[in-house]
Amino acid sequence: MTDPATSAPDLLQGTGSAEAQSPLREAWRMFRRNIPALVGTAILFVIIIVTIYGSFLYTGDPYDIVWAPHEPPGVTPEFPLGTDYLGRDLIAGLLVGGGPTLVVGASAAALTMLIGVSIGATSGYFGGWIDNLLMRFTEFFQVLPALLFAMVLVTLFSPSLTMIAIAIGVVSWPQTARLTRAEFLKIKNLEYVTAARAIGAKNGRIMWRVILPNALPPLIVSATLTVGVAILFEAGLSFLGLGDPNTMSWGLMIGSNREYILQAWWPVTFPGLAIFLTVFAVSLIGDGLNDAFNPKLRER
Amino acid sequence: MTAYIIRRIFYGILLMAGVVVLNFFLIRLAPGDPAEVIAGEMGGATKEMMDSIRATYGLDKPVLTQLWIYLSNMLQGDLGQSYFFNRPVTELIGLRIWPTILLVIAAQVLAVTIGVAMGVFAARKPNSILSGFVTVFATIGYAVPVFWMGIMLVILLASIFPVFPVQGMLDARLHSADWLTKTIDILYHLALPAFTLAIIYLAIYARLARASMLDVLGADYVRTARAKGASEGSVLFKHALRNAALPIITVAGLQFGGLISGALLVETVFNWPGMGTLAFDAILRRDYTTILGVLFFASLMVVIANLITDLSYRLADPRIRTGGA
Amino acid sequence: MSFHTLLRGAAAVALSAAISAPALADDHEKSGGTLVIASTQVPRHLNGAVQSGTATAVPSTQIFASPLRYDENWQPQPYLAKTWEVSDDGLSVTLNLVDNATFHDGTPVTSEDVAFSIMTVKANHPFTSMFDPVEKIDTPDPHTAIIRLSKPHPALLLALSPALAPIMPKHVYGDGQDAKSHPANSAPVGSGPFKLVSFTQGESVVLAKNENFFLEGYPKLDEIIIRVIKDTNSLLIALENGEVDMYPFIASSTEIGRVEKADNLTVTREGYAAVGAINWLAFNTKSEKLSDPKVRQAIAYAVDRNFIVKALHRGFSSPQRGPIIESSPFFHDGVEAYNVDLDKAKALMAEAGFGDGMDLTVDYIPGPAEQQKNIAEYLKSQLKKIGINVEVRAAPDFPTWAKRISTYDFELTMDIVFNWGDPVIGVHRSYLCSNIREGVIWSNTQQYCNEKVDEILSAAAVELDQDKRKALYAEFQTIVAGDLPLYWINSLPYHTAHNKKLGNAPTGIWGAMHPLDRVYWKETK
Repeated sequence: MTDPATSAPDLLQGTGSAEAQSPLREAWRMFRRNIPALVGTAILFVIIIVTIYGSFLYTGDPYDIVWAPHEPPGVTPEFPLGTDYLGRDLIAGLLVGGGPTLVVGASAAALTMLIGVSIGATSGYFGGWIDNLLMRFTEFFQVLPALLFAMVLVTLFSPSLTMIAIAIGVVSWPQTARLTRAEFLKIKNLEYVTAARAIGAKNGRIMWRVILPNALPPLIVSATLTVGVAILFEAGLSFLGLGDPNTMSWGLMIGSNREYILQAWWPVTFPGLAIFLTVFAVSLIGDGLNDAFNPKLRER
Repeated sequence: MTAYIIRRIFYGILLMAGVVVLNFFLIRLAPGDPAEVIAGEMGGATKEMMDSIRATYGLDKPVLTQLWIYLSNMLQGDLGQSYFFNRPVTELIGLRIWPTILLVIAAQVLAVTIGVAMGVFAARKPNSILSGFVTVFATIGYAVPVFWMGIMLVILLASIFPVFPVQGMLDARLHSADWLTKTIDILYHLALPAFTLAIIYLAIYARLARASMLDVLGADYVRTARAKGASEGSVLFKHALRNAALPIITVAGLQFGGLISGALLVETVFNWPGMGTLAFDAILRRDYTTILGVLFFASLMVVIANLITDLSYRLADPRIRTGGA
Repeated sequence: MSFHTLLRGAAAVALSAAISAPALADDHEKSGGTLVIASTQVPRHLNGAVQSGTATAVPSTQIFASPLRYDENWQPQPYLAKTWEVSDDGLSVTLNLVDNATFHDGTPVTSEDVAFSIMTVKANHPFTSMFDPVEKIDTPDPHTAIIRLSKPHPALLLALSPALAPIMPKHVYGDGQDAKSHPANSAPVGSGPFKLVSFTQGESVVLAKNENFFLEGYPKLDEIIIRVIKDTNSLLIALENGEVDMYPFIASSTEIGRVEKADNLTVTREGYAAVGAINWLAFNTKSEKLSDPKVRQAIAYAVDRNFIVKALHRGFSSPQRGPIIESSPFFHDGVEAYNVDLDKAKALMAEAGFGDGMDLTVDYIPGPAEQQKNIAEYLKSQLKKIGINVEVRAAPDFPTWAKRISTYDFELTMDIVFNWGDPVIGVHRSYLCSNIREGVIWSNTQQYCNEKVDEILSAAAVELDQDKRKALYAEFQTIVAGDLPLYWINSLPYHTAHNKKLGNAPTGIWGAMHPLDRVYWKETK
């Protein structure tokens, strides 16, 4: 037990349960047996493959006007999903638009985790006035309705995809911060942390190498669900007309086709379905992870 | 309890002050000069007119002075003059806040009652089809974009089968009708938007109610009640639901901010004359004073909702009634 | 064309119109009922004297009366002025006011109010050319106002229309407060057929019949409600369901297509003659990449106006080849049309030294997507064919766009500009060197300057002979079509949809920006 960091997993095993298998492996075993979670994983896998195809292998330009506007799906064989209000191919838009949608979702979630975990961990670990200050700061952001605040951010500082991702990150971190803080509060007084401290490990090391790995399960679940929320957020902002017109995304497709919905349902329906499926898959996975990490809830 | 309430209110005021300062600096950080926006709305202005606009709206003073003026005016109930509408912001919000409160509360009530009912029924038979349906429905309701659902409902229930009105809160022709006619018409207009907004949260409550009911139904005291021969209804509603209420109240409070965000989208789809549509107008016109005002009131609604949640939590759970903050 | 008559009339010694139909109400036209008008635009306030735009003009023309009004043949009709005379030299116009007109607060309308109002409009309205030559207004007696001009101004009579010259009570608006931010702009007092009941910003304007309206027997309707509905899908359904009775200024082809199918609606494109709304692509002529007319011409040859009109607008809009709206008598048919020719476009690019292509940005007004955003996106796709890589710059809100354009921070922008009846009011502003005014949107933001054009336009502004004026405008159009500071695309396909049971729907040159005092319900809805 000379290096607390390397010994953390052993400690985890020791304190976690008396079973021989590690909780992570146990969780994985649970997850594999969870049919909805597997379905979610499969859907997400397909979406990611299609998106990679769209982003890297598909050579068509989704902005090209290739046909008459508002061609219904299934009429012309070259454009099985029809065309939009300018006569652009919907399939091209869906293929290429998936990349930015997923990237916004993932990067907004990453930013959320980065801010949330840093603030939550600092707050929970140090406690006292630092905790007080950071939690008050968190509350400021928590009482601001997220979408409204994101809208203001995006409008005030240019509607680019980067800004949209930043805005989503900036408005959604408080919950992650609270969750992280709660986990840190719980773990920081456990034996192995005290032990690490006793042998002189520095604060940074204890926070990131000892406590964080043990606080990960709920954070992973939360991060997964945040990806879904971020994708819905991007769609909502685009729906309100605050999307980035130079980057094709599913949200943008809904937003710009929305005013023609009474005349043409398909340009809104297909990207909407794509968003729904992605978020659905992500939340099935999130639920599956949650069940797997919390054996207590398994029987529900 | 009274001391606790006072402490909470005082704390809420401090929180709001922080929020105001945060928003104020955020808006001042944004590129662009409000005076230019005002001049643009008027159709252009000369240099001298720009200076006079800056003087009129106090934009020629240092930022900290402006903040000080803003805060001290706020204490007197003055949130400034809207750049776009050229009217006091408080007056604009005063007209729009009630429709939003009505929509949000109606949606919350719908979501909690229907959601809890679904959850309770599902919990009675955890392995039934209904129970599975609740789980799946909960995930779907959460994954569907709310504005999308709104548009679909408009098309279905207002265009194809015209059962409900599509837009607004009151038929334009009824502006001077008697209160009963008005109330009925408002409820009629409220149905679709409130239901749309409720759908997302309905799923959350259904899940939550199912989970906590399962917990509670397995607990000793419920078994005892059953053993004593209490009726099923009495067991469900008197014993189990009362205890399942705690997590539901907590989540209902936490969801309030999300509800207001959802209301923003739903108001846009249904042309509901609330704060969401006002915020949208203000944002699209860079009407800074109105944006600040709307952010303030939206946050205030969340703070008040949190306070109410806190208090109801204490009322519902006798154990923490005497505890500290 | 009747427009000729109008201008000749302006030059005549004494034109005094007989008081005809307006004063005698037609007994077959029923009184009563409520008209609900839908609007997608949010008015700032309701006073058209200090604010342009359709959102303000529709309620403003119901609340305020003006000296003259116009019929569907561009003929001036008596309104607050029962007769009017233009002097021989064209330097003064005498208005003889009706003597029974009162404001909604009961005070009589006098020549003082007329003088005050016109001078206020002159000082505050963004259309500076409307009353620019007005030096002063004499008021020899309470019912006579004499407008004194520094030079002949044939556009003056049109500028006395309800949409442009609302007559305001001096005792309310003349209290020394700035007219642009006067509190009474949101609670206006006028002498028009309807008075304000309530104004809920961004939601509705409720107007009630003015029982003391000076035209006896009018208005027919009891009430007009203007309802703001920004989601056009909801708006169309509301129109079909009868929640809304009238929807003017429809500019989207999909919307027009939909309302045309509804059984309960009449759809018309009448009522927009004086608006003359042109959808165009503007060039920042001071930008290094666009200063050479050859580049601008290349872009014009690359863009397919017919594709836009026929495919993107489904044939509902009509092509616009020059700076003056094609339905105006001043439009010059011989103007260069720049029919699509990609080879010529590429050749011009090479001649200008941009054979390898270039990068350009295009802005657009947030709002009417089919006219603006969609065409910007079309440009991105189309200009790629001649080597121009276009980046579409979205403006999240109107002020952001207006600021970029009016401070010349743009390369290309889509824009919609109105002719407003007479070229002097709506056309000159976009081409005069003297109207390059930084910070002012819808001035000459292209920064185009050609002294010859300035000369021709100043001559045309004071020319009283219709044929000579036409010739001057023809020369002007030929020059600017060659210099091409703008590429004109189409005229907006404005349509009005209204309930079939509505009588006398507004189809004059100003459409709904005109008193709706004669509108009535043929049968109870």
